[in-house]
Amino acid sequence: MSSTALFDEPGPRARRRIRVATVLGTLAAVALAALAVRQFAAGGQLGYERWQPYATWPMWRYLLGGLWSTALAAVVSAALAMAFGLVLALGRLSERRWVRLPAAGYVEVVRTIPALLLVYVVLFALPRYGLDLPLFWKLVVPLAVSNAAAFAEIFRAGILSIERGQGEAGLAVGLTRGQTMRLIVAPQAARRVLPSIVSQSVGLLKDTSLGFVVSYAELLYSGKVLASFNGLLIQTYLIVALIYLVVNLSLSKLARTLEARQRLAVPKRRLARA
Amino acid sequence: MKRMVAALAVAVLGLTACGETSSPAVPGASKSGDLLADAPVAAAADILPGSTMEKIKQRGELIVGGSLDAPLLSQQNPTTGEVEGFDADMGKALAKYIIGEPKVKIVNSASETREALLANGTVDVVFQTYTITPERAEQVAFAGPYYTSGLTIAVKKGTTGITKPEDLDGKKVLAGANTPAIPAIEKLAPKAEIITFGTDPELMQALKQDRGVAYVQDETLLIANAQKDPSIEIVTKPFTSDPYGIGLKHGDEQFKTFVNAWLKKTQDAGLWQQIWKNSIGTVVTGDAPAPPQIGSVPGS
Amino acid sequence: MSALLDHLPELWQGLVVTLQLIAASFAGAAVLAVLVTALRVSPVRVLRGLGTAYVETFQNLPLLVLLVLAVFGLPEIGIQADLLETAIVVIAVYQAAYFAEALRSGVNSVAKGQGEAARAIGLTFSQSLRHVILPQALRTVVQPIGNLFIALAMNTSLAAAVGIVDLTAAANRVNLVEAQPIPIFVGAGLAYALIAACAGFVTGRLERKLVILR
Repeated sequence: MSSTALFDEPGPRARRRIRVATVLGTLAAVALAALAVRQFAAGGQLGYERWQPYATWPMWRYLLGGLWSTALAAVVSAALAMAFGLVLALGRLSERRWVRLPAAGYVEVVRTIPALLLVYVVLFALPRYGLDLPLFWKLVVPLAVSNAAAFAEIFRAGILSIERGQGEAGLAVGLTRGQTMRLIVAPQAARRVLPSIVSQSVGLLKDTSLGFVVSYAELLYSGKVLASFNGLLIQTYLIVALIYLVVNLSLSKLARTLEARQRLAVPKRRLARA
Repeated sequence: MKRMVAALAVAVLGLTACGETSSPAVPGASKSGDLLADAPVAAAADILPGSTMEKIKQRGELIVGGSLDAPLLSQQNPTTGEVEGFDADMGKALAKYIIGEPKVKIVNSASETREALLANGTVDVVFQTYTITPERAEQVAFAGPYYTSGLTIAVKKGTTGITKPEDLDGKKVLAGANTPAIPAIEKLAPKAEIITFGTDPELMQALKQDRGVAYVQDETLLIANAQKDPSIEIVTKPFTSDPYGIGLKHGDEQFKTFVNAWLKKTQDAGLWQQIWKNSIGTVVTGDAPAPPQIGSVPGS
Repeated sequence: MSALLDHLPELWQGLVVTLQLIAASFAGAAVLAVLVTALRVSPVRVLRGLGTAYVETFQNLPLLVLLVLAVFGLPEIGIQADLLETAIVVIAVYQAAYFAEALRSGVNSVAKGQGEAARAIGLTFSQSLRHVILPQALRTVVQPIGNLFIALAMNTSLAAAVGIVDLTAAANRVNLVEAQPIPIFVGAGLAYALIAACAGFVTGRLERKLVILR
């Protein structure tokens, strides 16, 4: 349902009222913000010396180094999680029970365990049994393990969303099941799930902030080291939050662009077929 | 599709390779060069063939388990990338003794993973406020103690009624997550509600925002805090005595003897005192204390 | 195993805190999400923009960053609250963005005729939303909301990083004393899995009960 069915375009009187309310609301918001800023300044948090370090390049170089580590951890765990997720999704759709059940079991169980708890297991439990991964993998492995379940569900939904006829047609022209999946179903499903994959990847990027716990020098942990160096806790975390916001907003925008392009592409193809 | 998969595979491989080379360890540059210029270097005869020392010397780098966010002890300076402080400089001095140059790689380790890092050989030594206890000594070998410190209590200026650890009973007390402060408070003030945060600035902020009435932490760190921030004060003398040891692989007696001999030499040469002056001595007034007797603690 | 049994009181206390976090922030997130969804389908452009900005902001910031900022930053602007309350509010605000997104897709899935019919019989915008659209939208999103509930339950574990002794923090503390990570973390993991399983069971029942046969 498009929301426009719920109301008419506002008329002149409604428009005037909206304008008045907007102005009043903005004023109230500005007043509140000013109050907050005044309090903030009263605590000395806006002092020049508290922000000056963030006008210098070495601080930014350090934080951007952290961002690079964040990106690296996110890309590697996303790649691993997607590969494993694809295997799980195909497993769940398999005709063989002994393949289907373990795959389904994995997805259902892992989905319900906090990533932080998995991090703790890799961090504290595994080393006692002789498996002590390098720092980078201590973050990447639990993230990949837990995100694989999410990617598996995305892929499965994508494959199931392809019309039955597509697969049947593939089988009818004599392709094997594997060929049908690879040549006919998967390429179509891949386009359809692209936006979900990007938004799940944004989630994964956010999850790398668990590096905070592992002491892997990603963005949030770099912020922690920086704050313990210069004691500027709030300023540092505000800057870190800003960096996350900018990066993730750009990625989300990419997801929307992909979504829009796909919506455009589908009807065109249908037309061509007809 | 095939091309896409291939491209993805290549990208993944490339990145994985990057992931390995850019291991999140921090190379210790040598700003403390002046300090370590005259630091003792082991005689070639002391580097016994087949020993841990020889392995390190051949590698040309000492791998130290430590922290990046412990001011005065082992804190990374973001402007230079160098790790500074007492523990960091002691690590460099040991590297110089073995290799002839203060080449150190710090592997960031958490207090829960140190035993494992030593056991499987990821790090050669641990310099990380590692308190020697007989229980720990069953899993790792300790050289030293190389430093003794203690816990103390800081409050916001004007707070009354807290003069000794027992006064914390029934109150909200701030302590660093995974630090020895937690068991110490539980022992002396069993009814205290312990609130933990990960880093010292967070704990300071929490103290100033009244999330707890007192902050229990290593004396050195609190002295530094009280100097930077006049709104807090320290109310007791240290009420614990924590001997810090150099963590080594369990059972490596040869290396332990070697490290103890090095420690003795740095103390005799006055280097230990200089390193102290250069780090902890910048906030604590007076001369360097007498270093603790090597091997004086059960477990060392 | 004895490590687990000796420390049952602490772990139980942690579980209680986790349950409090889950229940309170879920309630908060649900209310907020309905409000934000109403904003996002409202006739006023500014309000729609506000709703979108809300969702965009909170979906693109890590919860951990928000928690740290709120715990240490809010007192600086004069809002001093208990740690647990702060964490509940932050998790609710954060999770509401996801719930609102799910709800919106639910609203979009309600047939257009429903809204038109509601208008035709003279219901106002808020009446048609309340009596016609949302009840149907809620039914279609029971499953996604269930999944988001599980995500919320998992996310409450991050409160452990800002000084709240929930189940995860309690498990970590017990492990520090006992150094027996396997029974302790497996035990804590089972507790989380149990919470999630309950949520799955409830959403399953709800879905069957609420399903509209068309």
